[in-house]
Amino acid sequence: MSKEQAYYVPHGTYWPIIGSIGIAMLFVGFANQMHGVEWGGSVMALGFAITVFMMFGWFGQVVNESISGIYNSQVDRSFRWGMSWFIFSEVMFFAAFFGALFYARQLSVPWLGGADNNIYTPELWNGFKTGWDAVAFTTPGTTLQSGVEMSVPTQLVNTWGLPALNTLLLLLSGVTLTFAHHALRAGHRNQIIGWLVATIALGVAFLGFQIMEYGHAYHDGLKLTSGIYGSTFYLLTGFHGFHVTVGVIMLTVILYRIQKGHFTADNHFGFEGVAWYWHFVDVVWLGLFIFVYWL
Amino acid sequence: MTTATDTSATAHDDHHHGPEKGLMRWIKTTNHKDIGSLYMWFAFTMLLVGGAFAMGIRAELLQPGLQLMEPQFFNQLTTMHGLIMVFGAIMPAFVGLGNWLIPMMVGAPDMALPRMNNWSFWILPFAGGILLSTFFMEGGAPAFGWTFYAPLSTTFAPDSTDFFIFAVHLLGFSSIMGAINIIATVLNMRAPEMKLMDMPLFVWTWLITSFLLIGAMPVLAGAVTMMLTDRNFGTAFFDATGGGDPVMFQHIFWFFGHPEVYIMILPAFGVVSHIIPTFARKPLFGYSSMVYATASIAFLSYIVWAHHMFLTGMPVAGELYFMYATMLIAVPTGVKVFNWVSTMWRGSMTFEAPMLWAISFVFLFTIGGFSGLMLGIAPADIQYHDTYFVVAHFHYVLVTGALWSIIAATFYWLPKWTGKMYNEKLAKVHFWWAVISVNVLFFPQHFLGLAGMPRRIPDYSLQFADFNFISSIGGFAFGASFILLTYIVIDCIRNGKPASARPWEGAKGLEWTLEPKAQYHSFNTPPSRKLIEAESQNS
Amino acid sequence: MGVFMTEVLVVLVILAIMVALGFGLLGLLKGGKAGSDRMFKSLVIRVSLSIALFLFVMFSGYMGWIQSNIVMLDAPTKQTPVQK
Repeated sequence: MSKEQAYYVPHGTYWPIIGSIGIAMLFVGFANQMHGVEWGGSVMALGFAITVFMMFGWFGQVVNESISGIYNSQVDRSFRWGMSWFIFSEVMFFAAFFGALFYARQLSVPWLGGADNNIYTPELWNGFKTGWDAVAFTTPGTTLQSGVEMSVPTQLVNTWGLPALNTLLLLLSGVTLTFAHHALRAGHRNQIIGWLVATIALGVAFLGFQIMEYGHAYHDGLKLTSGIYGSTFYLLTGFHGFHVTVGVIMLTVILYRIQKGHFTADNHFGFEGVAWYWHFVDVVWLGLFIFVYWL
Repeated sequence: MTTATDTSATAHDDHHHGPEKGLMRWIKTTNHKDIGSLYMWFAFTMLLVGGAFAMGIRAELLQPGLQLMEPQFFNQLTTMHGLIMVFGAIMPAFVGLGNWLIPMMVGAPDMALPRMNNWSFWILPFAGGILLSTFFMEGGAPAFGWTFYAPLSTTFAPDSTDFFIFAVHLLGFSSIMGAINIIATVLNMRAPEMKLMDMPLFVWTWLITSFLLIGAMPVLAGAVTMMLTDRNFGTAFFDATGGGDPVMFQHIFWFFGHPEVYIMILPAFGVVSHIIPTFARKPLFGYSSMVYATASIAFLSYIVWAHHMFLTGMPVAGELYFMYATMLIAVPTGVKVFNWVSTMWRGSMTFEAPMLWAISFVFLFTIGGFSGLMLGIAPADIQYHDTYFVVAHFHYVLVTGALWSIIAATFYWLPKWTGKMYNEKLAKVHFWWAVISVNVLFFPQHFLGLAGMPRRIPDYSLQFADFNFISSIGGFAFGASFILLTYIVIDCIRNGKPASARPWEGAKGLEWTLEPKAQYHSFNTPPSRKLIEAESQNS
Repeated sequence: MGVFMTEVLVVLVILAIMVALGFGLLGLLKGGKAGSDRMFKSLVIRVSLSIALFLFVMFSGYMGWIQSNIVMLDAPTKQTPVQK
């Protein structure tokens, strides 16, 4: 990676068009699946497979090019800029859902119950009460505008149970990842693998418990159809879970690359990018835990 | 910074000299010029498609009464006209201009992430295809307006809305990748000797626009995702029955929507800031104030969104805040207009086609800006809201603003793109044709709006008939002007006379130091400090 | 400690964590030895703060300074009225 080298401009690539076809099939299939069209599911699965194939192919090519040494430090910086701003766009994506959570909890739900100057609410709807805990305004048999009957939870998630444990697991994974990072920077390669495996294991455990929690919640009637509480709860945790899954896959790839002997103590952008992504996902969960379950 | 960017030094020598042959060149390409052209042609196609929808709308509105189509189809046309123009025409056209020009302007060999650049284009045809295919689905295309307010887009929308949602996802994905690429190019691929305050204004405005895109597009993705789950999975984000709130949709949408309108106008400011100094043969007046004004507009654009929602029921304190914050935007915008006018002051001006478009941009965009100020006054907005006054306002800023700058840029840089000169006489005819017809088209809509004609309706009361008739006639004339534009551009590409490397004598900028038809890879060796200083707008 | 004070403290620490994470991102951007050092240091700070915050929140919940948002309910009839 000498600094005298030219900026590598690849000539021609098939990956983007493959990706476009894959992702378009994924979405078209998904939409048809939701509308009950027979072939929807299979087109969606095929599209997903093509997209995954594209990602492995594309990233694999970049990794190979990186190892062969045709990237100079300027190319490296382009990747850094790209990754950083990609993550920032993810921050804004989550911000939309957190915004919905705050808006509903602080404004629209209290307004429904007659907060602020809405003095007519108690007059018009005698005895109508609202509360964030979802149970308050979900009377059995209520139908949403979309025609779906709302689900009334008999129990809500216990903050002290799985959510607290999951938070602890994810925070610990941040610690183990930091140890791995330290080991990489210090050049202790055999230690990195141990810490990385621990991080991945903690991430997988988190996902497992999350699925368990969904199982419990669903069993108790807390569903997507449980009004705004169920909506924000599942969408926030669901998208977070999706990001953890992606993070676990990325960490696994990094583990594989470490075993192949990639990265040096001074130059390990792939590791740094993935590590930062994991820390970001970690912080999102912490925010989720505090804002959804506590404040 | 790394200095050597000489691609000919690599082992990949033979691949770098020119484009491949055949169709696969366009599918596989990683070259910023190829991708820029693809963007421009895609945007132009979409402009004609969206324009055809507009012709349908104006034909229906030519006379009162339902003449040509069902109201439902009329609503589909207005919706798709807006979506196609915003996401299919204006935005891709600016990304195309950015692709073509930014690497040349900052002295780079290409964009920073060339493969991703290809992808951000090649998602677009798929997204556009999905969006347009909704016309052929059961229940027709989405018919809820380009703002897709809930519950029109959730409870009362056709099934095709889900396809629309995914198309928006794809378009957003493409925009974000495009923006990331431009940031990386400007900040990392800039010639080592070029300081930030040496950068041409088009580069500055695009850099700031990229930050707006990365901040706003994911929020739009979040909004349509919530729409998707409300429609299909029984969530209640925008449904008061379940504790949600349709107004929440408007807040989230406009948190995206307001930066979005600046996404469509900031690069236009950049374009005009190139053209006016060139033909006034004077340096740009107030370069640094232009940069700061652009940055303040971008910042302010994030904190004024609810001025689109004055009538949805908001605490008075909220209305006041959003009104005053909106007024504030007029200050940096005013700085810009002042600077353009001052640049022309005592310049030795000539009026070639790009300059005509640029001057009419300043004039007509300012009209649109002022009607925007009127709309931003909360008590007055009660009268204007959802009338044709709004339609007139945003067409003045988007057509005679954004689109005008794109056409101006096309004429201004066409010699650099093709190495040939367009037909100046025809271009002038086209300009006057367009500028007169566009005012016949949109100016009467102010009066219609002030008189109370609501927007998005296929039929209207008799007292609106005359102005609608005039407006429609202007509309058909304006639509026809694009046939001439198409001819001028194709004629230039095919039969244009060879242009010199710097066809405009007052033009400054690194792009003019390249060959008459810019070579396939712009700067294989970065330009020197001396050259950068000589070509800088900041002098 | 009052509910309000605890909540303010929690939000402040979250903001601090986000700032530390942001500095990590700047380090990632910068690259090289200096950037790598900066990134690592910021991430260590963010991990430590996160763990401290988690413990503090659990402790506050235990002490009753803040109430868990989600109260265990046996049946939909047991409502806590929020109406004013």
